[in-house]
Amino acid sequence: MLDVALVSLIEDLIEKAGADGVIEFWQRVGENLANRIGKEAYMGWTSFNVAVREGRTAYSIEGDVTPLTDLAITDVDGDVVGYIYAMKQCCYFPTAMRVRYTVGKLSSADKAVAQEYNENFHNIAWCNFCVFHERFREEVAKNITVAGNPLECLLLATRGFDGDTRISGKGLAKININPEHIRALLRNYECVYALLMRGARLKEG
Amino acid sequence: MESMEHGRVVDSNPFVDIATHLFLEDLASKVGVAGLNNYLISLANNLAANMPEEEYETWDEFLDALKNGHSILSSFEDVHAVTKHCMATRRSPFERGWREYAKRVGAFSKVHREVADYYNAKVKPTAVNSLHIILQTFRDAASKRIRVGGKPMRYEQIATVWVDGERKVAADDRLPSLLKRAGITKTRLGMLLRNNADVWLLTTD
Repeated sequence: MLDVALVSLIEDLIEKAGADGVIEFWQRVGENLANRIGKEAYMGWTSFNVAVREGRTAYSIEGDVTPLTDLAITDVDGDVVGYIYAMKQCCYFPTAMRVRYTVGKLSSADKAVAQEYNENFHNIAWCNFCVFHERFREEVAKNITVAGNPLECLLLATRGFDGDTRISGKGLAKININPEHIRALLRNYECVYALLMRGARLKEG
Repeated sequence: MESMEHGRVVDSNPFVDIATHLFLEDLASKVGVAGLNNYLISLANNLAANMPEEEYETWDEFLDALKNGHSILSSFEDVHAVTKHCMATRRSPFERGWREYAKRVGAFSKVHREVADYYNAKVKPTAVNSLHIILQTFRDAASKRIRVGGKPMRYEQIATVWVDGERKVAADDRLPSLLKRAGITKTRLGMLLRNNADVWLLTTD
């Protein structure tokens, strides 16, 4: 019930601190959680991707994550420096359903936070939880090394259960992937992100 | 997608619960233990106030709804009636989130226990941690939204056991009366506490 109560908490915080205040709060909580989970190191991408599949990485707290090992990200030399990862279901989807069947309608406060974030930070949020989740992933990436290199996380695309999709042009340009590849993934996944080695020399988009 | 027709609502993703715990911890660092206590109480009251009111012709009709997960009092927990007025919750609705927190993040922040100590001293001595403040306040507020045979319902907590086995039982001066109205003995209460998370009383005025 804590997740359903969270919706009331967000409503209350919007009244006290505004939607921008909630965003600041969520981002701080995302950073704190990532830092409390701590550091991880992997020998290479194979061992990292096996750990993702087995639910042993810091990202496993999100739920089931699929490493799309057919979608490698390569650098200017053609070396693999990252992969695309995807979740079939948004972490917040069960909560949205639980609100539906207990309270009734998802609060407008949820949309207000997502809208504020989309307009002022990154046009990718489907719900208020995306604000926390994106920052959490970015911070976790800094704490993971693959072959000695810390990672960087780019949230690439989201799909809400209402079918609304958002694709990050900024993120895709950075890793030089065609948006149509990602659009196709959104038929099967609700949240798509990239993990790559921080500072990798990528091909110009 | 599971609806209320099939019983209780779908389970939440524990990640959302963990994020909410961190959210509350961050809040406590700003408003202190007393402030967090007030926040949790207001949160639970708001949640109950947002849920639909209920009316039943008879106590048996209400018990059926409670057992089948159709009452707001059983939306978040699996409740069974030990007697006509003594209810038991087998597993805490917060157990999954707490286990995931312990597994992925580490030891539960001490603020959750500190706020329960405050609540136990100021309100009633039946909370082991912050989550029980939400649950018990919610039950109290939700029960006031239910009428059976035209009479308002009344809820009282008899005892609480947390996942680690720690117990909190109603104050000694109130316990005999609660047990009598619940239709159980102190020995029976001890038996119930071996394999239930909560034992509580529901009556009409």
